[in-house]
Amino acid sequence: MDTLLQSALDNLISPMVLFFALGVVAGWLKSDLAIPEPISKGLALYLMLAIGFKGGVELASNGLGGTVVAAMALALALSFSMPLLAYALLRAATRLDVPNAAAVAAHYGSVSVVTFVAATGFLGYRSISYEGSVVAMLALMETPAIVTGLLLARRGMSEAAGNRAPLLSADVTREVILSSSVVLLIGSLLIGWMTGKDGMTVMAPAIVDPFKAVLAVFLLDMGLLVGRRLRDFRAVGWSLVAFGLYMPLLGAMVGLITAKAIGLSLGGMTLVAVLAASASYIVVPAAMRISLPQANPAIYVPLSLAVTFPFNLIVGIPLYYAAAQWIAGM
Amino acid sequence: MVQLYRKKRIEITVEAARARAIIEMIESVGAKGYTLVSEVSGKGNRGVRNDAHLSDVFRNVMIIVIAAEEIASRIIEQSPGLLENYAGIVVVSDVEVIRDEHF
Repeated sequence: MDTLLQSALDNLISPMVLFFALGVVAGWLKSDLAIPEPISKGLALYLMLAIGFKGGVELASNGLGGTVVAAMALALALSFSMPLLAYALLRAATRLDVPNAAAVAAHYGSVSVVTFVAATGFLGYRSISYEGSVVAMLALMETPAIVTGLLLARRGMSEAAGNRAPLLSADVTREVILSSSVVLLIGSLLIGWMTGKDGMTVMAPAIVDPFKAVLAVFLLDMGLLVGRRLRDFRAVGWSLVAFGLYMPLLGAMVGLITAKAIGLSLGGMTLVAVLAASASYIVVPAAMRISLPQANPAIYVPLSLAVTFPFNLIVGIPLYYAAAQWIAGM
Repeated sequence: MVQLYRKKRIEITVEAARARAIIEMIESVGAKGYTLVSEVSGKGNRGVRNDAHLSDVFRNVMIIVIAAEEIASRIIEQSPGLLENYAGIVVVSDVEVIRDEHF
């Protein structure tokens, strides 16, 4: 437990968490501090490019083995199935109706790229390596949960909504599959994989050393967003806030066990736990607003952005890392 | 003196996620064009709407169409169905334009 406490404290006083906290406080107090939107979008693109490229180089050096295939399969299985668990819990423990429960469930099956990037920063501080295939898992896990969420909604609302329109329109499907994060992650993963160590020599000055600093600046912006949304809690309610805290713990547990089963390293297990624990707040809300308009974004956005994201960033990541250490030692 | 022509101006403030469907409808009923204001904010029955720039979920846009009365009434008829479950305001006014053939 000593190491857990130590790594939790280390995490707490890392620049990334402190800048995040600064953002939360400033946003909550309605300071006019703001990172201009094009810059914050640029930072997000930079982080995804760096993560994808590093993952690709890692894949190139270790080859495409059976673990890679197993990791892909695990990613799809987790993303498709986690919403079922979330939905069952939401219907049993909260007063959410069918469309809202289905929408929230989809968010918790999908992933938060920022949480994943922060976790790689956490591992980076400790010089813990991880498999490149986990980066591909990140890209794969973003969308399947949306399908499960919409199926749950359709099943629950079948008598009311008699229409048999396709689950996802062609436009939404294209937007989700070709969302900027998926395209950039997979694209830079492939480029990293194709160019390998030589490519890394070219890219390293831009994507290795500045990475943690850029991440800290980006988290300042995330903090501002979270701080401004803190006032939306009233719409969310306590039983849902509790869900936003225990659902990531359950997800992380499933992630750790399955990652261990396919033989991932300590770093890989930690990251799969983070993937399974995190909830989307960019891609899934946009898809839900178009495909499931009956669900209220004032519920699912604050829940995943202002409850689960900070929880994972501050408490979750060191906790999942400690649990992964414990499982790896078994 | 420049000749003026009477038209209808329809202004639809709608959440960004629904803008595409509205625009498709506007074009399908025969309007020759529209203006899109991509950043609008304000307060309505869904609370304060602004540009929380993570996604389009809390962002509104404004679509402005100037059209002949017949086309305008088709847009007005089709709007309520498209706005169900979405933030949306539809305002119609009489305007005069100088270049009839543009609308």
